[in-house]
Amino acid sequence: MRRIAARLPVAILAVLLVLAASVTRAETSVYAAASTTDAVNEIAAAFAAKKLGLIVPSYDSSSTLAKQIEHGAPAGVFLSADEQWMDYLEQKKLIAPGTRSDLLGNALVLIAPKASSAAAVQIGPGFPLAKMLGDGRLSVGDPAHVPAGIYAKAALDKLGLWDQVKDKLAAGQNVRAALNFVERGETPLGIVYATDAIASAKVWEVGIFPEDSHPPILYPVALVAGHETPEAHAFLEFLKGSEARAVFAKYGFRPVLTN
Amino acid sequence: MLTPLEIEAIRLSLEISGWAVLGGLPIAILLAWILARGRFVGRNLLDGIVHLPLVLPPVVVGYLLLVLLGRNGVIGAWLHDALGITLAFTFQGAAVASAVMALPLMVRAVRLSIESVDRGLEAAAATLGASRLSVFLTVTLPLSAPGLLAGAVLGFARSLGEFGATITFVSSIPGQTRTLPIAIYGLTQVPGGEAAAARLCAISIVLALAALLASEILARRLGRRLAGPHFA
Amino acid sequence: MFGRSGAGKSSIIAAIAGLVKPDSGRVILDGHPLFDSAHGMNLPPWRRRVGVVFQDARLFPHMSVRTNLLYGLRRHRSGPGGAKTLTLDTVVEPLGIGALLERRPATLSGGEKQRVAIGRAVLANPRLLMMDEPLASLDGERKAELLPLLERLSRTFAIPIVYVSHAVDEVLRLADRLVLIDAGKTIAAGTVEEVANRPDFAQIAARDGGPETFSVISATIGGHDEAAFQTRLDFAGGSLTVPRIAGGPGERVRLRIAASEVMLALAPPTGLSVRNAIAARVVALDDVRGLIDVTLDAGVPLRARITRAARAELQLAPGMSIYALIKSAALTAH
Repeated sequence: MRRIAARLPVAILAVLLVLAASVTRAETSVYAAASTTDAVNEIAAAFAAKKLGLIVPSYDSSSTLAKQIEHGAPAGVFLSADEQWMDYLEQKKLIAPGTRSDLLGNALVLIAPKASSAAAVQIGPGFPLAKMLGDGRLSVGDPAHVPAGIYAKAALDKLGLWDQVKDKLAAGQNVRAALNFVERGETPLGIVYATDAIASAKVWEVGIFPEDSHPPILYPVALVAGHETPEAHAFLEFLKGSEARAVFAKYGFRPVLTN
Repeated sequence: MLTPLEIEAIRLSLEISGWAVLGGLPIAILLAWILARGRFVGRNLLDGIVHLPLVLPPVVVGYLLLVLLGRNGVIGAWLHDALGITLAFTFQGAAVASAVMALPLMVRAVRLSIESVDRGLEAAAATLGASRLSVFLTVTLPLSAPGLLAGAVLGFARSLGEFGATITFVSSIPGQTRTLPIAIYGLTQVPGGEAAAARLCAISIVLALAALLASEILARRLGRRLAGPHFA
Repeated sequence: MFGRSGAGKSSIIAAIAGLVKPDSGRVILDGHPLFDSAHGMNLPPWRRRVGVVFQDARLFPHMSVRTNLLYGLRRHRSGPGGAKTLTLDTVVEPLGIGALLERRPATLSGGEKQRVAIGRAVLANPRLLMMDEPLASLDGERKAELLPLLERLSRTFAIPIVYVSHAVDEVLRLADRLVLIDAGKTIAAGTVEEVANRPDFAQIAARDGGPETFSVISATIGGHDEAAFQTRLDFAGGSLTVPRIAGGPGERVRLRIAASEVMLALAPPTGLSVRNAIAARVVALDDVRGLIDVTLDAGVPLRARITRAARAELQLAPGMSIYALIKSAALTAH
């Protein structure tokens, strides 16, 4: 009797582990760019409310997420903030063929802390960015690898302002980090997505970068190869559906002409 | 043989870690002394606070540093307005972040060393006319020198590897805060950057091993000097 | 301060030096209060100018002997003891530590360490020097080396010394005044003769081994007989002959005479090897566990121990005149 009692905890543990494994199999992991955090959370909740499945989202810079998928992270759906990182995975045959499409668009804006005394500007070539910065820094996602940072660099380049400000950048790990610096007033200005500016009550939009100053900001979405479960498929379709589109629009994302 | 990026990252890492230890060690010694010899209400609380950076996620520590010492932070605003000192996005801020993360390790090592000093010797010094501070400086501190060295090296090694708190507090700024870990991280995020990242990794390992070796040699020499020729 | 191990002697030293804070009471030195619980006064050790020589010397291992010696000197204040011009030379010569100056404590022998410790404590210019069983961790030879030094210490450096020990021979040799401590209390205090001749002194001393009853007599050296290898000691009751001891005429010694080594005779004997026959008067007779403790007055108090049968045979009674016979070889001189 005592021997059975001693083995009991182990048996219970084994049963729990099996149960846990079976539970995780019903979850779908979604890797999405940091800028889509609030929108995707809401859409995932709606998905679960309709009893279509359980979505577990992870948010970070698209570069970080792509690298994790490359190294075997168990993501079912990948929503990237730029084409580069989706191309990266597609070249490595890590994307389920035929499942890629452009889901969203976005705009690039210049923001300042709520309490800032900056004036609204019309952003065009040679606008007085350096003067507006003063001795402060410009928060951006790291232009070396964060999509928002890459777009920001492209825009500043096109407008002839990159040289002026390239030594005054505060490069964050992802666009939300850059947003945080501006929210806290650590930097007088920052470049983030329009959706980030809308999401935060502590910053306001000083100006919007003209669409032709940077490559179009497109968010491609796809299923990750080897993880094409029915739930993942269902969530992908849900993301393209009208309900999700409404949520995205609410958060400031631009629609993309359906391909 | 080394690219400018690599040289800069190495230089920054060594400088920032050096300053972190230089500035942090005296504070660690003071805290270790208070915790080792002090008897006061709240001693355990102080001990807990000192160990927070060890158990909190580094990013959280970085965020707390931002709240306290950022330009609009509780203390940072005063530092900026009254003393003109800015820590956010600066080399100095990176050193502060490293020092804070390394402090628990340094305090632990130094405290152990202080506690192993024979209190009978401290009593003898007191009867010879040495005040508490004098006893600390002339007897306790010299006799705990090996522990101080160990603490310094631990702190230096920890600073070399510091990433989370630094990037959250001061972000990645070339020439100011882009240390080895931050540079390695950046390279791993770029397609095709693995080779360069691997090189920097190897350099990091060499630096860490060199630091540990140096500390071993120094500690042994110090130990010999203290115990006389009979030291085995 | 004499008492057996654990009696509280070291605690008293710690309290006087300020290394330990008593729960209540007062410590007053030379009329100056060092500690007074009733008034919340507690002078820290570094301001008391009370030096301590510890049993384990406690030399600072990371400093040379010279730096150790100078440690207190650098901090000494010329206090109420008057301005003393102390230098290294003040202690180096008398303590014989000149050759050790550049050495490290770890390389010194036990006796050398203690000498340096004494020098270090003295150079801090204390008003009072306390020595906590300084010879306890030394072997017989080293002890014999240091005892003469300790005898002269107080006079050499003109400092009052509180010497703590549980070794009777040390105490009898070195002390001017004696305080008997037991279980944390002072049992007796006075001159050595007064305290050492008390029965409870012998009892306490006996717990470390040694005779259970003895007498302590102060004497001075009368003269030496080199041929016979003898020394004559003069005391209040006459003279005693002992085997040759060191010392010059006129020097003071203390004699310890075990009661069991004292024989009694009705008349001075002939044909016996015993050299000493002292005239005395019986003062009291006590039956102690089957043996008789005889208290005699021989100009100084003297005790003898005999059997009941012997007492009966001699018909001893208080007031009787008697002779106390003491073998020279049984006398221990300190």
